[in-house]
Amino acid sequence: MSARKKAGEVDRFALSEVIPATRDFIRLDGERCTGCGDCAVVCPMDLWELRGEKAVLAGDYKEKCTECGSCFIACEEDAIDFSYPPGGTGVVFKFS
Amino acid sequence: MRYGRKASARAAVKALRAFVDGNKWRQRKGRYVPLHYIHGITGVRGYDVIVVGAGPGGSTAALTAAEAGMKVLVLERSRYPAEKNAGGFALSSKAWRDFPFITGLELPSMRKGTQCVAHFLSPPPEMEERFCIASGPSGRMSYPEAREFFTVTMLRREFDRFLADKAEEAGAEVKFTSLVTGLAKDADNIAGVLLEGGDEYRAPVVIGADGVMSQTARLAGLRDKWRPDEVISACAVDYSASRERLDDVVHEANFQAYFGPGMGGNYLMCYADCVHIGGPGVTNSLISRVSRTRIKPARELLETIQAPPVQRLLRAVDAVPREFHVHCVPWKDSMSDDVCAGGLMLVGDAAGLPEPLWAEGVWQAMYSGRLAAQVAREAIGEDDVSAASLARYLDRLRESPVAREFVGGAQLRRLFEVLGDPRAAGEMTEMMVDLTVNMFMSGQEPKAQTVARAVPILMENLPVLMKLLGIYVPMIQEAGGELPPQLAALGGMGALFGAAGGEEPQR
Ligand SMILES: Cc1cc2nc3c(=O)[nH]c(=O)nc-3n(C[C@H](O)[C@H](O)[C@H](O)COP(=O)(O)OP(=O)(O)OC[C@H]3O[C@@H](n4cnc5c(N)ncnc54)[C@H](O)[C@@H]3O)c2cc1C
Ligand code: SF4
Ligand code: SF4
Repeated sequence: MSARKKAGEVDRFALSEVIPATRDFIRLDGERCTGCGDCAVVCPMDLWELRGEKAVLAGDYKEKCTECGSCFIACEEDAIDFSYPPGGTGVVFKFS
Repeated sequence: MRYGRKASARAAVKALRAFVDGNKWRQRKGRYVPLHYIHGITGVRGYDVIVVGAGPGGSTAALTAAEAGMKVLVLERSRYPAEKNAGGFALSSKAWRDFPFITGLELPSMRKGTQCVAHFLSPPPEMEERFCIASGPSGRMSYPEAREFFTVTMLRREFDRFLADKAEEAGAEVKFTSLVTGLAKDADNIAGVLLEGGDEYRAPVVIGADGVMSQTARLAGLRDKWRPDEVISACAVDYSASRERLDDVVHEANFQAYFGPGMGGNYLMCYADCVHIGGPGVTNSLISRVSRTRIKPARELLETIQAPPVQRLLRAVDAVPREFHVHCVPWKDSMSDDVCAGGLMLVGDAAGLPEPLWAEGVWQAMYSGRLAAQVAREAIGEDDVSAASLARYLDRLRESPVAREFVGGAQLRRLFEVLGDPRAAGEMTEMMVDLTVNMFMSGQEPKAQTVARAVPILMENLPVLMKLLGIYVPMIQEAGGELPPQLAALGGMGALFGAAGGEEPQR
């Protein structure tokens, strides 16, 4: 196998740009959460983790979230509510 | 002029509007009474059609409506077209057949696709090339463009901009940085939208072109969200690359796919001077499957990008990673019914229209956007935008080529399940290797000796062949194709072999 270096390491965080939203746009209903962890597995930016039996969203999610909505779709308990950040804020894709 | 500059003015307008809305004389059995003079008094701006979202669905709807002489407003939450749309794309030749306005279109990022390549790799950790098919277009395709090329790859920021500009040139008003958070209602019908911050715009018809997480669908009570088995969470990495190298190395093989055990169909799209690698295959990024397998799609994509053939190609074109993309896409095996309500039609991803193999959805968004605008025009002309009247949109959609893409949808989805299944994918790859090498390619042994192996190879691979027959035969039958009875019987038996061997990896 070639010993040459990889064609550039992919650092998800360094390679994405977000204008932080000025309000929350993801909300967790702790009562409904069963701690199944589906949100944590699917999130491309690792913004969910399980603490005890409940999901917890990263405190700085507004600076990292790609607004993909995967966590919202994954949660079958309807514990996650997702909308979009205010117009003009949030994730920025320049080369899509 | 928009209302709401001052709090007192806002309160007065609200009161006036409440008075107007509260009066039943404005509605006759859900029928729309033009409100221009009321809009004049209240300052609430009236349009014929409001489009939510300036993606391909929204802009095509706006273009069609504006060309038909309607007053159109497009509201888009991002600051410029495609700021929120990840992944770049390949536009199929269907679009040149159906949309004359893209004939001759030239955008800086475009690369024509006269070849398609599918690579089949060995299992990790090697992930080396075992088998590869490269193909040009088939002469049996039913229209000239399809006989000439497969797709043209281009960046969404250029294509979406082109469409939004076209809509604007035709007379549509396009507002960016405008997040729609509410719908205005008149008795039974949706009659406008509310922006975050309180601005309100009114129109007898709203077209929801707001993508996979459609808020308009939700606000209208059509659905809260798609189910986890109807959505893929697709990731992609954008790389800048050398145009000259790409011209030499990939030329017009702009779309390449990588299959392999545990690698369910990553795609590589090459543009004029950049490359996108997306995945991890449609099946492996299906959200319900991710919940079962516990394999993170983003991690799987980033691991499979390390496959040596992918890395060699990236180095050969001087690729440097530039951006990480994630976006969901609906991936359904049949068409939805919940695509219209009184005063509202959903198009594109908001209507769940991407096709059930690759989740291609741009042409579908454009096609449905145009249909919705045509129906809006008719319904407004007839002065009836009720749910019953707009239901003709669903009928037209069902008669359209968009619906025909869903024929055999369940089988198409199963095809990817087989390709994404580690055991079945491995068996299939080795079968193709054995058949090709022994029947055509090898100079290693006498031909008569290798060719004679074809029969044992086929016999040994009967389970996987039956699995494929179990997918293709019902698909052909659903499409109304003629089948010899022996093949039909084999297909029925094949269905017993199950879809994907029932095996799912755990990590
Ligand atoms: C990685 C990836 C690769 C893909 N590759 C291909 C491909 O090669 N070929 C292909 O044909 N398809 C491809 N698709 C699918 C394709 O992107 C979608 O099917 C297509 O974008 C659907 O178009 P649309 O107009 O319905 O929605 P979108 O393009 O999603 O547009 C919706 C618009 O609405 C805006 N919006 C959303 N909510 C609001 C709101 N509340 N207020 C105001 N604005 C709002 C959004 O910002 C967005 O601009 C790919 C998808 C992904 C994720
Ligand atoms: S998916 Fe829903 S229920 Fe499961 S852990 Fe996450 S929030 Fe809780
Ligand atoms: S929207 Fe996407 S990126 Fe944001 S928290 Fe949910 S899964 Fe993670």
